[in-house]
Amino acid sequence: MLLAQIIVNGVLLGGLYGLMALGMALVWGVLNIVNLAHGAFVMLGGYIVYYLFTTLGIDPLAALPIAMALMFAFGYLLQYVVLNQIIRSAMLNTLLITFGLDVVLTYLAQLGFSADFRTIAPSYAGANFGLLGITVPVAPLAAFAIAWLLAGLTWLLLNRLPLGRAIRATAQNLVAARLYGVNPRRLYAVTFGIGAALAGASGGLYGMISHLSPYVGAPLTAKAFVIAVIGGLHNPFAVVASGLIIGIAESLAALYVGPTYANVISFGLLVLILVLRPSRALRAA
Amino acid sequence: MRYTLTLLAALPALILSAATLAQADDDVITLGASVQQTGQQANTGRYYADAYKLAIDTINAKGGVKVGDKSYKLALKLYDNQSDVNLSVRQYVQLITADKVNYLLGPFASNYALDDSSVAEKYQIPMVQGGGASGQIYARGYKYVFGTLPPAEDYYASTIDMMGKLDPKPANVALISADDSFDVSVAKGTREHLKSAGLNIVVDEKFAENNADFASILSLVKSKTPDVILWSGHETEALNFIRQMKSLDVNPKGFYAFTVGVPTADFRKALGNDANYAFGMTTWLPTDKLPDQWFGNAADFAKVYKEKFGYDPDYHAASAVADVETYAVSLAKAGSLEPPKVRDAIAAIEFDSLYAHIKYGENGQIVLPQVVVQIQNNELMPVYSTDFLNKPQYPVPAWGERK
Repeated sequence: MLLAQIIVNGVLLGGLYGLMALGMALVWGVLNIVNLAHGAFVMLGGYIVYYLFTTLGIDPLAALPIAMALMFAFGYLLQYVVLNQIIRSAMLNTLLITFGLDVVLTYLAQLGFSADFRTIAPSYAGANFGLLGITVPVAPLAAFAIAWLLAGLTWLLLNRLPLGRAIRATAQNLVAARLYGVNPRRLYAVTFGIGAALAGASGGLYGMISHLSPYVGAPLTAKAFVIAVIGGLHNPFAVVASGLIIGIAESLAALYVGPTYANVISFGLLVLILVLRPSRALRAA
Repeated sequence: MRYTLTLLAALPALILSAATLAQADDDVITLGASVQQTGQQANTGRYYADAYKLAIDTINAKGGVKVGDKSYKLALKLYDNQSDVNLSVRQYVQLITADKVNYLLGPFASNYALDDSSVAEKYQIPMVQGGGASGQIYARGYKYVFGTLPPAEDYYASTIDMMGKLDPKPANVALISADDSFDVSVAKGTREHLKSAGLNIVVDEKFAENNADFASILSLVKSKTPDVILWSGHETEALNFIRQMKSLDVNPKGFYAFTVGVPTADFRKALGNDANYAFGMTTWLPTDKLPDQWFGNAADFAKVYKEKFGYDPDYHAASAVADVETYAVSLAKAGSLEPPKVRDAIAAIEFDSLYAHIKYGENGQIVLPQVVVQIQNNELMPVYSTDFLNKPQYPVPAWGERK
């Protein structure tokens, strides 16, 4: 029974992990930018939902789309104005600039929001129900459902809508896409905006389950990175599914191997994937 | 040529100002510290930065420190270690070798104090630190390191003492601790205290520092139905632990207690009603029963501090003030600025401060009882020290039975 409970915990946690990685994988796959500020975007999204909830009384789940819209605008502008300048340069440059961005956003957040810890705590944040002797917490369950929903929407966008076809075309062959009238600058900005919006949504959910401070971002970036590599960069469902794998692996490791090894497990998996399937991982990167 | 002349004309003035500068330096005793002002630990680090400043300003306003026949002002050279242990070690070396500060104050947290105190010992400059409690800091036979937090190993001593007097008496304990220097010390000491009190440890689990997910450990705890959870870690982790306790509906039959977080206003604010019933501990409460030469008493200090910085002090801040006051008192006693003499004076002093009665043990660490506290109706209540101070809300109601 304990084992079943722990697997359920891992699955629910993994859904949120997967959602965090979704935006990073999208941006990485299309723009070839490993966004080291992704965790900072998650943090910002969390604060947006926090303030919408605490000052305007908007329910956190209802605030998620608003946070996504704001984060989309933020991501769009950031890509259009800043990142487009370096998009065609070496990978190292994009790493440096997004790392710098992460530092700037984190410290601006400390100035703006203070280092105080915050939690997004609507009445249902701690709610749960029993199912076959297993306790299912409501907020992680909601996060899990939303992760799959957003993965589905992302898949629809990429595979069924003209915009998504343009995005994929640009990623596959820039010259050909241009010949068909695609404006890559705008398209990159839209993609980056979607990535930021997905990060924002996961931030709101993270604040409901865990806590917010200006410093929550960096470890989340690392986690999203691992999941994006394991899941690959082109199928949203695979990304969320690999989030589940990491979630379950960490939950089991926490109890049966020793919690200190949780990170060893996820990064160990990363190394394993890179060794066993280098072609796929390298194509991704 | 004209420039040379101007320069020559300016020279006496330059020399003069350099002389007055040296003169000014002569009357100032500089205390150096590196503290977490940004990064993961900034939330607690700020207590040290703010308390050091406030203590030094207050002592200066009351005439500074008299050493022999001469009066000195105190000054602070403060670095931000960005919550990076390696950086903090480098900054302490810099404080001693480049900035030439007279003495050292400490950083926050045991793992920092553990490494930084080695710098103090190496250069034989006294360090009085109020941020590290782990016994490891004092187990190395260092002579220049003093501390105002009591030994981590004894943090749960008063709580376990209290457990013997509760009705119904708890028997089975779950012990959960982080894997860093401080918390490993807490867990080690707690195990021994539990054993000598005849209590069973039914769960003994560690978690990774900066971990936010306790679902696995909590599920295990739930399956073992302990009477008490004793938890040791950091504030954010305590916060996550409580939130996940609620969402996984984990209810120990007796109570649950934390080493950190509970006495902190920010913690109670972040959790709201979910913070209620949690037990914790503090070495310090802002009462008027702790007289202080510079601040009046602990209650007055708490008021001034809140007015100045906009948030309530907790024991970290009081402990930091005691560190600065230790220098003020010892320097007057030593009658000299020589580090070895000041060191000997610190080892010998005894005085009342707003934090506690200060007297350092043989190994440099203070011995203080922890007051058991509980959050009752969103207020922090002292519950037990050697006997009950207020009635604890015990047993703690299950999550589902709370209003």
